[in-house]
Amino acid sequence: MRRFIVMLGIGLALSATTGAQAYHRFWANCNDDAPTFMTTMTRDAAQDYANAARYEGYQWGGGCWNYDDADSYPNDPPEVTSTHGEGGDCSGLTFKTWRESTDTWRDGRYYWRALRNVHGPYTAASFRAGNGAPNHTVAKSTAGVMDAFASNTHIGMVFMRSLYGGDQIVEAKCEACGTNIFYRTYRSDSSYGGVGRWGWTG
Amino acid sequence: MAAACDSGGRPKELLYGGKASEFRPVRGSVIAVGRVLRRAALGRRLDDCLLRGDRTTVARDALVAERVGVDGESLTFANRNRTGVYACDGGVDPAGERRLPWCGAVFGELEDGHLLDPRLDINCRDRKGKPLAYAFVQPVAGAHWIGVEQDGYVEIYEAMAALPVRIASTRGVSTHEASATFEVTQYDVEGRELVRSRLEAAVAG
Repeated sequence: MRRFIVMLGIGLALSATTGAQAYHRFWANCNDDAPTFMTTMTRDAAQDYANAARYEGYQWGGGCWNYDDADSYPNDPPEVTSTHGEGGDCSGLTFKTWRESTDTWRDGRYYWRALRNVHGPYTAASFRAGNGAPNHTVAKSTAGVMDAFASNTHIGMVFMRSLYGGDQIVEAKCEACGTNIFYRTYRSDSSYGGVGRWGWTG
Repeated sequence: MAAACDSGGRPKELLYGGKASEFRPVRGSVIAVGRVLRRAALGRRLDDCLLRGDRTTVARDALVAERVGVDGESLTFANRNRTGVYACDGGVDPAGERRLPWCGAVFGELEDGHLLDPRLDINCRDRKGKPLAYAFVQPVAGAHWIGVEQDGYVEIYEAMAALPVRIASTRGVSTHEASATFEVTQYDVEGRELVRSRLEAAVAG
């Protein structure tokens, strides 16, 4: 009996340790490497970059993922940065895909590798307002491939214009839905505005 | 026009030259002046910080908490159906796209009257060019004053109009990590300390 209680105590201690380590996990694989300054930035390449982030999960305040096509830590509590799981959030994915700088006054092109943990200084609302030198608002009717639609709480990029009024949107949507391409009608939703990145070279 | 703070100690002036009063219970503190107004009374001061589409979501008679501190100033108000709260953040926009006094605006969703996230804004600079971070603090039950550790003094904000309190600081801001750390103490109406905490905020969503 005594041995059982001791083993139970050890088991509980280990499970508590695992619980404590449940957070601060995936970010241990991430880095803070400097970005690579680029002279070019094509919409094709941006599509490829965002497409490769599909299935890699969603993390509030995050911007770090690998390319194994799986969310290493799904179903974290929503809107908690400290869970440190895999994936970007909506604005983090947009920031990296658009090759932006962490300095809002720089409009150059900065390539961030997937495992570079960076979110960038913009929320969905600040993207929507066109804040930052690389960003601007665009008319929704003219928003094209890898432009974006942003509301006060979400941003998604146009992967492909679709028939029937909607768009194929590449976005980091939520913990439960992860990062993927979804059919959305943001273009006709009054809470969303059109946003673009200056400086495409193709 | 920046607040006098030459010796690195307690500043003597607020952002626009007003006298920096001390909150007696906290030695060496500075009270950020605050008042509650109706939106209509602020006119363009509020409209200039919001996108046109957002202006219609805020009632004309909405209560607005206006605060002016040593380095920052802000407006805080809820939308018409109280599903979210806006803040206009004051300072210099380093990208040069927004004109003074506003350098940013944020929106936070409310759930059961509480924000899930402090809605950190690091897009602003103070008048000397230092990164200036803004974040919301939700007062705990009974809290009336929010103290924020600054360089050499504590800035005190009053909780008003049952809204989250928008605090500002140039201390502990990392623009490269899009994060900021605030040392926050909450006091009751007479200045008794209720809770002391570190708010580690990151830009998100």
